[in-house]
Parts: sequence; C-alpha cells; structure tokens
Amino acid sequence: MTQFLDIVTFAGELFIVAIGLLLVFGILKIINLAHGAFLVVGSYATVVATRLNWDPWLALLVALAVGIALGALVERSVLRPIAARPLDTILATWGLNIVIVQLITLYFGRQMQFAKSAITGAVTLGGLTYSEYRLILLLIAVAVGAMVTVVMRTTQMGLIARAVIMNEELAQGLGINTRLVRFVTFCLGAGLASLAGALLTPLVSVHPLMGVPWLINAFMLVLVAGVSLGSLAVATLLLGGAQVLVSSYGNPVLGGLTIVILSVVILRFRTPA
Amino acid sequence: MTAHAAETPWVGSKGDGGPALRVRGLRSGYGESDVLHGVSLSVEPRTIYAILGKNGMGKTTLLKTIMGFLLPRSGRVELLGYDVTRWPTYRLVRHGVSYVPQEKSIFQDLSVGDNLRLALPKSSDFHSRFEAVAARFPVLKERFQQRAGTLSGGEQKMLLIARALLARPRLLLVDEISEGLQPLMVWRLREILAEERGRTGLTIVLVEQNVDFALALADHYAVLKLGTIVEAGRVSDAGTREAVEQHLVI
Repeated sequence: MTQFLDIVTFAGELFIVAIGLLLVFGILKIINLAHGAFLVVGSYATVVATRLNWDPWLALLVALAVGIALGALVERSVLRPIAARPLDTILATWGLNIVIVQLITLYFGRQMQFAKSAITGAVTLGGLTYSEYRLILLLIAVAVGAMVTVVMRTTQMGLIARAVIMNEELAQGLGINTRLVRFVTFCLGAGLASLAGALLTPLVSVHPLMGVPWLINAFMLVLVAGVSLGSLAVATLLLGGAQVLVSSYGNPVLGGLTIVILSVVILRFRTPA
Repeated sequence: MTAHAAETPWVGSKGDGGPALRVRGLRSGYGESDVLHGVSLSVEPRTIYAILGKNGMGKTTLLKTIMGFLLPRSGRVELLGYDVTRWPTYRLVRHGVSYVPQEKSIFQDLSVGDNLRLALPKSSDFHSRFEAVAARFPVLKERFQQRAGTLSGGEQKMLLIARALLARPRLLLVDEISEGLQPLMVWRLREILAEERGRTGLTIVLVEQNVDFALALADHYAVLKLGTIVEAGRVSDAGTREAVEQHLVI
C-alpha cells in the first residue's frame, strides 16, 4: 500500500512539473529548456516568502505570479523575435536556464535552502500512516489536470488552443490572434513550472541546480506523451512508478535514470503516429 | 484582450465608396524566387471578381499575400481605402475579410460544430448565426457532431464556405473551391455564392481554373500568367471566354 501511494504521489509530482512543458510544446511547438529554471524560481520564491514569514499558501500564489511575470518577460524579449526559428528557441531557452540558475547562485549561494510547508503531519489510511502533504499534492495534480482538460474540452479558449495546436496558419485565417495565444500559453507554462517548484519545496532540497533532474524527466515524459494530457498522466504513472520501484528495490541512482532509459526505449520502438 | 479578433464592421469606415479591394504593384514569392511580378487589380464592392490561371501561375500566392500569410516584397494592398499591406492575418479577418483556402483547410480532428465555432469570437453568437447558415447547408446540421475529417470532399468544401460565411464578412476570398468536385456540387456552390452576394452585398474574389464556374458567377475577371495579369475585363464583354481560354490552353 505504501508503495502504491509512493507511486501515485510521485506521478502527481511529475505531472505537475510536466504539464506546463507540455502546454508550451503543444502550442508553441518548442521545448522550453528554461522550464527547470522557472521551477527553481518558484522554489526560491517560496523560500523568500518563508523568510518574510508569509503564509505558505500565499507563497504558492506568489510563486505562480512570479513565474507568470518571468514567462511574460522571456516570451516578449527572447522568444517572440526568434519564434520562426525552432532550433534557436531551444538554444535560447537553454541559455536562459543557465543565466537564471547562475543569477540565483550569485544571490543565494549554492547551499541548501528550506521553506515552511503549508501542511505538516500525516494521515492514517486503513492502518497505514502517510504524509498528508504528499496526498494533498496528488489532489492538486489531479485538480490541475482536470481543470486544464475541462478548459481545453469545453470552452472557446480551449477550442482556440486546440486549433492552434493542430494548424496555426489555419487558425490565423479564422481571425485568431495566435501571437496572443502563444504569449498566454508561455506565461501559463512558466507559471505552472514555478508553482510546481513551490509545491515541491517541502519535499526536496532547494538549491540552484534542483531543476535539472525534474526538467530532464519532464522533457522525456512530454516526448513520450506527445501533446495529450491523458497520455501524460499515463506516462507519469507508468514511468514514475517504474522509477519508484527501481529506487526502492534496486539502486536509487539507477532509479533516477529509469524515466530517461525507459523513455528512450519507448521512443526507439514506438510506431510513428 | 481576446485571442479571437473582435468584429469591426466596415459600414461607415474610412473608405466607403472606394473599391472593396485594391492591389497595386504587388510582388511576392517564396525564398529567393518571385512568384508575383507587380500584380494590380481593383475589385468594386458587391461584385464577384474571378482570377483565372493555370497551376503555378501565382493565384494562391496572390490570395496568401493579400491575407497576410506572405509578406509582399513590394506593392500595396488596400481594403476600403485602408492600407493593410503588412497587417497580420487575424487583423484582416477582424476587418471583415474571410478566406476559404484551397483544400485540407479544416481541422480534421475537430467536429463539424467545433470547426464552425472557431469562426466566431464569442460562442454566445453561434447558435443564431448557425441557424441562418444551416438553412443553406443542411448537411452540416445533420453532421454537426461528426469529425470533420470524415466528411466527403464536397461536404468539406461546404464546411469551408459555411465557416467563412458565419463570420459575416464583407469580402470573401475563395481559392479553387470547385477543384475535384462533381458538377452537381459545383453548381450548388455557385448557387450559394450567388445567393449570398445578392442577399448581403458580399464582395467575392474567386481564384479558379474552372472557366465555366468562374465566368458563370463573376462580374469581372483577370487572367494571371507567370505572376502577371495578362488579361482583364468585364465578363459580360463580347469575346471574354475566348480571351480567357487562349491563356489557359496547355
């Protein structure tokens, strides 16, 4: 039972981290390699909020807002001028990732940081005691996934987003301002990354390079899932589950590579759609 | 701020009384190669203007440049007196231009209904407008929930026209709508476009290779050959068909 809860809660964490990357990949058709840096920014925003004695729930909103603002700045100043050159956007976001991480290192140093958790303690489920925070995180992941799905499936905004994913030029021909769609999506993706960083803060050590393994795992999961939220949920459960099992019964270092290795194998043998 | 362009009716706009569309010395192309070499034409409001030509003569390039999908290398595009030469496509649509592209221009994986909904910025306007359009396209009402990619070729063309008309444009640009269709379907589309012009005063620019279809519908025509207009006039003038066909023979 504990193993099962470890798997689903870890899948929830992966899902929260990867969903912003997937939205940006689907609509902007770029892999945002600064996603890990946005996650780090969210974690440090929470650390700062803790130092200021702000409520940890408020810190989540602060992280979300900081991520959105940073995303807006990056989209307008870096990505928009090179939007037509996909390879350059990948290199630019990777460069941006390095710059953000170095700036954080300069200001906060390399040492671990800690932040207050919004929820502490454990709950008992059928005689089993489990971290309440991890369970709440799972619920938040499900809520975020459900909210994005509902918006995409039932609203005009979601319909426009799906149209841009399918054929951007055709969407422009119907009067859709695809530049605005790209801007809003990138801001949302950066905000979600930052929120993910804030949510992970009580569970992980906060340091400038903490975003790298999360970025790599999220990147591989998005490549495996394509632009489907359902596929992303399944991929996080299966590959995240495999990572938990390998870490528990095998070697934690090997466990850290599980998602990457399995993703490479899946991509190698998958029949092209 | 909305992702979908807001509607701005043309009535009372700056250029009332002038041509609906005026193109002057337009040069455009892809990469290093020029496709249009200084095209000029003028389309009066409430008329149908046919641009005829064989494959590869620049007809689609002309429409794509007018619509802002391609940036012109030189020249000017005016809509009712507004210089729209470098306007983004969505802004042109906001100003009352609808574009019916050549083929495969529906969202294949979306339903017929969703394809139609995308034509309007506000979903609250949809039902009243759809009812008006559905009277002319009953098949789309029947297949409203069906995936658009499963419609027949003729039904997909119906969907393209219906989607364009839902936006209530003042200028409709139509790219080879008759291509690959059975004569009965071509006749039906001709009827729909003629009715729409009569009912709403819509200005239509048709790009066509089908001379019969184009000349039966249009008031004015031009023949585009290797990126240049080589023949133009009123369809009702004597000898129009011969003048057109001499440029279209292989």
